[in-house]
Amino acid sequence: MSTYLYDGTFPNLLNLITKLINHNIKPMDIKPKDNFEPTLLDEGITLELDDAFRVKDLKIPNPVIKTCYYVFLSSDKNKELIIYYFLLNEKKYQNKIFYMRNLKCVNSALKLAKQVSNETHKLKGFVRFKEINNHILYSTINPTSDCLHLLSIHFAKRLKQEYWIIKDERRNKYSIYDKKRYYIVSGENLSLKEMIDTKEESKIENLWLTFFKTIGIKERENKRCQMNFMPKKYWHNMLEMREEYEKSNNRRKII
Amino acid sequence: MTLEEKLKILADSAKYDASCSSSGSNRKNTGGIGNTAYSGICHSFASDGRCISLLKILMTNCCIFDCKYCINRKSNNVTRAIFTPEEICLITMNFYRRNYIEGLFLSSGIIKNPDYTMELLIKTIKMLRSKYHFHGYIHCKAIPGASTKLLKELGSLADRLSANIELPTEAGLKLLAPNKSSNKATEIMSYVKENRKRDFVPAGQSTQMIIGATKETDLDILSKSSSLYESYGLKRVFYSAYIPINKDKLLPSIITPPLVRENRLYQADWLLRFYGFKVPDLLDEEHPNFNILMDPKANWALRHLNEFPKEINKASYYDLLKVPGIGIKSAQRIIACRTNFKITFEDLKKLGVVLKRAKYFITCNGRYFINSEYFKKSFIEANLILEDHAKEETRKEQLSLFS
Repeated sequence: MSTYLYDGTFPNLLNLITKLINHNIKPMDIKPKDNFEPTLLDEGITLELDDAFRVKDLKIPNPVIKTCYYVFLSSDKNKELIIYYFLLNEKKYQNKIFYMRNLKCVNSALKLAKQVSNETHKLKGFVRFKEINNHILYSTINPTSDCLHLLSIHFAKRLKQEYWIIKDERRNKYSIYDKKRYYIVSGENLSLKEMIDTKEESKIENLWLTFFKTIGIKERENKRCQMNFMPKKYWHNMLEMREEYEKSNNRRKII
Repeated sequence: MTLEEKLKILADSAKYDASCSSSGSNRKNTGGIGNTAYSGICHSFASDGRCISLLKILMTNCCIFDCKYCINRKSNNVTRAIFTPEEICLITMNFYRRNYIEGLFLSSGIIKNPDYTMELLIKTIKMLRSKYHFHGYIHCKAIPGASTKLLKELGSLADRLSANIELPTEAGLKLLAPNKSSNKATEIMSYVKENRKRDFVPAGQSTQMIIGATKETDLDILSKSSSLYESYGLKRVFYSAYIPINKDKLLPSIITPPLVRENRLYQADWLLRFYGFKVPDLLDEEHPNFNILMDPKANWALRHLNEFPKEINKASYYDLLKVPGIGIKSAQRIIACRTNFKITFEDLKKLGVVLKRAKYFITCNGRYFINSEYFKKSFIEANLILEDHAKEETRKEQLSLFS
């Protein structure tokens, strides 16, 4: 038993897993080859895979593929193995797979998929754009799961007639939308010119800050509830929480 | 007056409206900006923990009415302001593009007369929809007493309409809001119910009641909500704990708003809408108010302990829903899963059941979680209250760490 390697993309992972299942191979682990470090006992195996493989040719129902994709976007370090066992059990239980929650792999897969979809949903609200050069909308995010693609689908519909860029700072990649479609590119192949806020920007930002401060009811103040719904990890990128974020950071430094 | 000052005044007077949901509509982006998400999206959370989804403002805080509890009543000496339709569009569009908001919640004080006020609201929303091609969410207050023709026009532009019932009984209204009558609000509701379709108020209607400004019991309030849900197919009834803003001999003299009571009413509201409970199950003339110490469902279960414990692998869907700690999702999962395998206590956690509440009221494959001698009201009640108390204590400790 050893670790099987794939190129880090979702189709390639499914391609590999299909082959493993068809040949009855039980992997010890599955990892993207870029961050795999070979050891004496485990050098890592790269299999010869079918070049003509396409995800949509697989005879697996859509909800199953979708769950696998969401698990793939999560930050869990065993996600590849979870997808492998999830698909292995899908062969056995077919459409009943979603109800086999007593199986560890099914429970973990559904849980991770849920986490990813929850975080994506939250970010659909928490993303903050600002207007820079030539009316481009620009935003930075730092999500735990890799939800840039899912967010792009959302904003391509909503802000159809705008130019927008969303940067995933943690993974150093960008989604760039040109009023027709979005492109997801790595930060290594991209150099953005200096960004200058348009002259209206600070005025609008101040209006938002005023609204945000005014709308809370003093007699009902409940910061704990606020933080439950809007976890601190998102504050840094949210205009209205930045001041609070810096305050709490300073406090931590003093302690 | 600058735009920022106006926004401050008109958001400040709108903040007491509880509703901010942006759900229930499936508007598409047909060339222009914006669409709506059926589930609704929260964009931020205010310092009171309430979600900010819509730009919630009044068009004006000038008002010809003098409702005792309202900050904008005629006799109050507050700075008055009015937005022009252009100004509202400008703020909405700029906020929406930057993804600050999901849409607009527009309400207003009554100026001149109901028809005139409604015409201004319509003018604003029409401008937003046709001149700015805005397809995001719009929730608008319908002004009681305005003509049906105007209501029809407003409904064809907005996603959700609401008319506030304000107080649970007519007697309460007479006392505190002599210019209002619940008939006018329910006239709007029945018109919307009759005419609702894809291009007329697609996200349905809601209303709001103030809790604790008058002497009504929880039974009065809940009976009112229940009849509103039944007669007008409302999406939501919002409850808003009375906040003492004005001084008046007719108003109760309290310092803090009755937030726990408000919370109990919301819990009961959910039980009515999704859990198959009816008002007489929860409250009666002998117990007209909820137990502040315990949530309505646990309270009900303790009073009907003879119906428990429920067997997880056999109980019907609605029986499962009656168990404290089991919600809609987990009940559905139990039903779907138990045809495939026998569910144990171990599995229940994975299915999303809150075991520390549910365990007292269930058996799995005939077994109780401890010796079944302990299945007694006194034991369960003490444990549930202790559990809540412990949670409250850790919360307080954590809070003191923050401040």
